[in-house]
Amino acid sequence: MHAFANPKRFLSLARWLTPLLLVSGLLLAGAALLYGLLWAPAERLQGDSVRILFLHVPTAWLAMGGWSAIAISSLVELVWRHPLASLAARASAVPGAVFTAICLATGSLWGRPAWGTWWVWDGRLTSMLVLLFLYFGYIALAQAVDREGASSRIPAIFGLVGAINIPIIHYSVIWWNSLHQPPSITAGKSAMSPEFLIPLLVATFGFSLIFGGVVLARMRALLAEIQAEARLRRKALGDSASRGRGVTA
Amino acid sequence: MTSGLKPKHQRLVLVLLALVAIIGAGTLAAWALRNQASYFYVPKEMMANPPSPDRGVRLGGMVKAGSLKTDPDGVTIRFLVDDGEAEVPVKFSGIVPDLFVEGSGVVAEGHLGADGTFVADNLLAKHDENYVPRELQDMTEAQKRMAIEETN
Amino acid sequence: MSALGKLLLRDLALLLPGGKRGGSLLPFLFFLAVAMLFPFAVGPDAPLLARTGGGVVWVAALLAAILPLDRLVAPDLELGIFDQLHLRGVSEEAAMAVRLLAHWLSFAPLLLLATLPAAALLGLEGETVRILLLGLLAGTPGLAALGLMIAAMTAGLRVGAALTGLLLIPMAVPILIFGAGALAQPEGAGLGLAGAISLLLVAATPFAAGAAIRAAREG
Repeated sequence: MHAFANPKRFLSLARWLTPLLLVSGLLLAGAALLYGLLWAPAERLQGDSVRILFLHVPTAWLAMGGWSAIAISSLVELVWRHPLASLAARASAVPGAVFTAICLATGSLWGRPAWGTWWVWDGRLTSMLVLLFLYFGYIALAQAVDREGASSRIPAIFGLVGAINIPIIHYSVIWWNSLHQPPSITAGKSAMSPEFLIPLLVATFGFSLIFGGVVLARMRALLAEIQAEARLRRKALGDSASRGRGVTA
Repeated sequence: MTSGLKPKHQRLVLVLLALVAIIGAGTLAAWALRNQASYFYVPKEMMANPPSPDRGVRLGGMVKAGSLKTDPDGVTIRFLVDDGEAEVPVKFSGIVPDLFVEGSGVVAEGHLGADGTFVADNLLAKHDENYVPRELQDMTEAQKRMAIEETN
Repeated sequence: MSALGKLLLRDLALLLPGGKRGGSLLPFLFFLAVAMLFPFAVGPDAPLLARTGGGVVWVAALLAAILPLDRLVAPDLELGIFDQLHLRGVSEEAAMAVRLLAHWLSFAPLLLLATLPAAALLGLEGETVRILLLGLLAGTPGLAALGLMIAAMTAGLRVGAALTGLLLIPMAVPILIFGAGALAQPEGAGLGLAGAISLLLVAATPFAAGAAIRAAREG
């Protein structure tokens, strides 16, 4: 069965890659956050509240990255029916939702001193909130599909349709010409001082590693579940088959 | 479409229809955006084309340096919002956010009064995309570069 | 008469009010009930109702769009209708395109009609009602398309309106923003953008819903 030939190779790779990603990610992200909290200079206008940037921005990127992972895995699932793709999509959903929630919470905490309000209905924040609900919908749909043993291509279709939301996130920034400042980091040119940019990039890299580690760990857990179920089913079949032989004999 | 079409051809017809719909959507969106009127005004637009007083709008721009005054009641502030070409007087009563200082960006939500003063219900400070440490803001470019080299 | 034409007539006979699947009037009664509920919640303040009523009608329309989804595709899947259509050479995509048309026809005209009494209850004036109707006309094809997509995805699952609602609401946010946004700013781009999103969703639905049906059939 080609469904099991591949997962075996994946498992032997994931076994050592998962802890490596998690540990290095935690170290990098932790170091960057500590630096941001303790040693980064206060910002010209925002003062100390800028320190939340090192948590807020990486989680915002990964919130969108999580759905991109779902969309790409869903496409692979629908086109090539690769057995690991549906696992990867489902394993990305919960960490993606968690990062989206952290992004919204830190954005709200940051908004209070910076803009004078906890919540602003501007394009980017609103899109993030919609993204969180998309994650909730995807997770609930994937669980229902699992529970009822329906085709894993159904959440994949939802994942792809939901990916339409990500361009809308970007577009909405332009459309609502809103409070939220234009993106600070554009290709090739950054308006950020290196004091802020370097730890931000390190934190983003660290959080990405954590994200990858969590996805791998969840994929391993999902695979183990599937294999345990298959073993049980084989056992049940084997029992009934041997009983069947017993009757005919 | 008739039943004579094979499923493959039905799909082909649907793909063609979908392409037409997508082109239609693009055209419609482009046409709609061409007619787009702003609900986020800068002072120049607000002077040229004032919104009616009963419509809630946003005014965005820079707080003009030296224009910020507090009324005798202590909670009402008046200032000018400036975009380099025009300025609009703004009145606001309430607590202002930290980032609200002269020369910084501001978004005021409210309506344009009949006398030409913008009455704000809410002030939101807008910070620009430049993140600069507090110690560096008064230095020249060369000093900044030196300071950064020293810290590295 | 072509097979697809017959399919459309059958779908309409099922879905239109008084049709065999019944209950098609219920979403509209629900829609009116929500419109009635709002003034009870915020008080009979006429200016407030007139200012917020258009948005309330949009929210009520969105909620009403969730109600028929349970019965939109699932019974046909159980009866094996799509297997039969497949044998007769009707692709799932074509069946879903026909179903989308039937769903919109059974949903949108009545919703637009029901908007008039709802607008009266909320004290909306002529120009607002006109923009509201235009916005709903531009937005309902998209709502119907999203609804059919989600109905097809959840057809093989025993899930309630809670999940279909959770799937539909975030997807429908852009339609709501642009459609209801046109009320605040009639000369703006809202109506056109709501229409553009509707067209995109209508274009995508036969394929997404068709793929979902095929996945559900093949298990």
